Amino acid sequence: MAMHSVQSPDNLDGTTTAPLLELSGVTKIFGGLVAVQGVNLQVPPHQIVSVIGPNGAGKTTVFNLITGIYRPSSGDIRLAGSSIVGLNPDQVLRRGIARTFQNIRLFNNMTVLENVLVGQHSQLRAGVLGSLLRTPGIVREEADARTRAIELLSFFGPALVARQDEYVINLSYADRRRVEIARALAARPKLLLLDEPTAGMNEAETLEAARYVRRLRDELQLTILLIEHKLSVTMGLSDTIAVLDYGQKIAEGPPEVIQRDERVIAAYLGKAPASQNQDAPE
Amino acid sequence: MLLLKWIVALLVPLAVFTFVWSGEPIVNNVILGLIFGQQTAYASSLLLPAALFILLFYATILVLVGYLVAADSGQQGMLSLWIDILFFVLLPLLLVTANGLILGLALSVLVWALYIFVRNRIRQARNYVPPLPLAALNVLSPEQRSALLNRATSAGFWFATIFALLSLLVDLSYYATGTLPDVLLIWAIVRTILLPIVGYLLGQLGGRFALRYTLAPKANGNGNGRRKGANVDKKTQLESLSVARVKEEAKDFVPNDRPLRSAGAQRFYVLLLLAFLLFYPFIDRFLFGSGTDARLSGYGDAGYYVILALGLNIVVGFAGLLDLGYVAFFAIGAYTWGLIGSPQLTVLTGLHPDPQLLSGLFWPILFLAAFLTAGFGVLLGTPTLRLRGDYLAIVTLGFGEIVPLFFLQLPAYTNGTNGLIAVRSPAFPGVDWSTFTPIPYYYLILAMIALVIFANVRLRDSRIGRAWIALREDEIAAASSGINLVNTKLLAFAAGAFFSGLAGVYHAAKLGGVSPDNFSFGDSVIYLAMVVIGGLGSIPGVIVGALGVYAINQFVIAQLDTFASDPTSFLYPIRAAIVHVVPGFTFGNIRGLIFGVLLVSFMIFRPEGILPSSRRRRELHGVANEEEVVEVGALDAPPGSPGFESDVRVE
Repeated sequence: MAMHSVQSPDNLDGTTTAPLLELSGVTKIFGGLVAVQGVNLQVPPHQIVSVIGPNGAGKTTVFNLITGIYRPSSGDIRLAGSSIVGLNPDQVLRRGIARTFQNIRLFNNMTVLENVLVGQHSQLRAGVLGSLLRTPGIVREEADARTRAIELLSFFGPALVARQDEYVINLSYADRRRVEIARALAARPKLLLLDEPTAGMNEAETLEAARYVRRLRDELQLTILLIEHKLSVTMGLSDTIAVLDYGQKIAEGPPEVIQRDERVIAAYLGKAPASQNQDAPE
Repeated sequence: MLLLKWIVALLVPLAVFTFVWSGEPIVNNVILGLIFGQQTAYASSLLLPAALFILLFYATILVLVGYLVAADSGQQGMLSLWIDILFFVLLPLLLVTANGLILGLALSVLVWALYIFVRNRIRQARNYVPPLPLAALNVLSPEQRSALLNRATSAGFWFATIFALLSLLVDLSYYATGTLPDVLLIWAIVRTILLPIVGYLLGQLGGRFALRYTLAPKANGNGNGRRKGANVDKKTQLESLSVARVKEEAKDFVPNDRPLRSAGAQRFYVLLLLAFLLFYPFIDRFLFGSGTDARLSGYGDAGYYVILALGLNIVVGFAGLLDLGYVAFFAIGAYTWGLIGSPQLTVLTGLHPDPQLLSGLFWPILFLAAFLTAGFGVLLGTPTLRLRGDYLAIVTLGFGEIVPLFFLQLPAYTNGTNGLIAVRSPAFPGVDWSTFTPIPYYYLILAMIALVIFANVRLRDSRIGRAWIALREDEIAAASSGINLVNTKLLAFAAGAFFSGLAGVYHAAKLGGVSPDNFSFGDSVIYLAMVVIGGLGSIPGVIVGALGVYAINQFVIAQLDTFASDPTSFLYPIRAAIVHVVPGFTFGNIRGLIFGVLLVSFMIFRPEGILPSSRRRRELHGVANEEEVVEVGALDAPPGSPGFESDVRVE
């Protein structure tokens, strides 16, 4: 079946915007297992693009490929036109892609503030000599870093700022997610990869999370690539949705189109009769 | 009542130090020797520094009295304070007096462990709840402040007066029995008049010092009544901070219920410790009698273990890279100076430098050797970059074996098994560095330790320190946060190796020789034990761990044999009984066994170490979680699937 791929979105004045992130024919094979096959994806700037699909579809693998944890077996990944294949994760971060993890990887034996400060590692320049001597420049840099960390925490309201000196393992699950996002924001990324940001949350928390994802795009001018299982969130939040199944992209388009796509419904529910126009499964 | 509480608490240990131990002899000899110009048993070069120390010591105690009385909010009971002082100050004092510094401290540590254990059990049984830190904190009005100051002043005055009278009584009793020289009676009378005055002044000083740490209204120019709120702001500021931070900050404000732990009191402890360390070579003879030189030499040796432990702490404690071959860097440092600073240089290069010149070059070569060793640290680190945990340990272990063997198997260059001899000492104008006087080496190692501690603290609290800890916690997350794993790991190895190189050069110079059998795997294990027992990642902990392990290995176990030979000690019959069953038994023989049992016990009962960093204690003993706890990995994709994140490797 011909893949319907999204063209670069047209702007109101008729020009097209080059995608911020572009995956072309990305394939990843682990031994005998083809995890991801021939995925093409374009993420336009300042949009929220969701990647959905059943468990095991390869969504997190795609994230790991983008951020350099895995190297694609074939295919290319380009950020703002230049290839990022083969870069280490820290280099990918410096190019402007930050991410959060499906199962929250915070530094457990550090405080909230310290976690966000680590996130600023790429933005700071203190070296061995500077740290030993504590030159005025370094002292100022540290003070500014601290202020910036508190600012980032305050994006989520005053609660986390008040708890900045607590060890992160003491925090609630929702708070830990927020700290992880703050840590990712600390690196001043252009593109933010969020891996299941509402996992494990109840309805109220999910709603709040969806709100701050949208605020991330609107207030901080970020582009967001989202893996999300809760279709209510995905449908409400995304500008574009890409659907993966068994490592392949089976559909892509705006939420209204995806909701009614037969292949998507089949992938989630198994091969069911396509006659009924039901709401997308929750 | 506050006055009584603190005066008794501090007077008793001070009296024990002065009259039972060596406080009085020091003062008397100083007065006789320096002021009255008489012949004493001690050289005058000894007396002047001793005089300085004693002056500093007693003055500090008087200021401390004033401070503590001002700083106490009165919540902690008299009895509990006295019992604490008894166990933490008095008992160690007596033990050290009776058994020497090392054994005395070792016994004290045992007593402390027991006491803390028992005390905690009692508290648990009585459902003791420690008072909230903010409850006792209050903003002080000007009347309250001057009341505090008066309290401190009178405390200092009365403390000094009582102490002066006590000393006078003691001296009069000696005079009555004819053992006190007449001149000292003059001194006794002068002292009895002077001390209360000095006490008054120093007590007031202590009080003023305490007032620096109170919540005070700030004198502000703009607006009279309005600024009364400034002091309240600090309190509300404290209240809005995280609970964890409040406890830390409130501890430092006075009056509180635990003034002995406040930041102000800690300054006094540091001052006393520094004075003790700096003046130790001069007061040792007064404190412990003969054997000063041997002791000082021993401290010089213990010192380089401290540096080694601090270096290893960076690799293992901060960055979490298990290094089982740390002795290799020590050997490199030692051989560097050994090859350059000895006749071996002539063998190697044919140069015949003036030995004095070589000694003068010790200082630049010290740092050059350290940098060279750091370079080898990078060399070792490179093959380990992709390895984790156990595999990393094996590679470092291999390196730890290779390097000493390398030195052993090149007799043409390194003199092989014979080792290097006649290695030069450093040169410093006006100082005699021969091994007959270990004093210069003592101060050298003190200076080196100070530098190493300084560097460690700076590194730990910097961007690099955070990167190391992040590396230890979660490599993937660290990389994804922008930390270059390669550079960070290599930097950890390089930093650890640098300090090890410093220690090596010092050791070669002090020993005057280098031999390959000084460097074995067992040594690497000892260094690791020092770090782990002291407290992984904690700088004060590692220092204590190094000194503790060294003391146990070198002294305590050896002393057990001496102790057991004494028919009056309780060990005598025990050893006799054991010798019946196992002929030829000595405690020295089972040194390894004792040390091993100690290690195992530590790991079972206190795995976080003697003075753990707060992170480590939390890591190993869990945290009381009020919030929900979600297991890490709860949302993991099933193992084997491509989404299984725990299996990622950076390619």
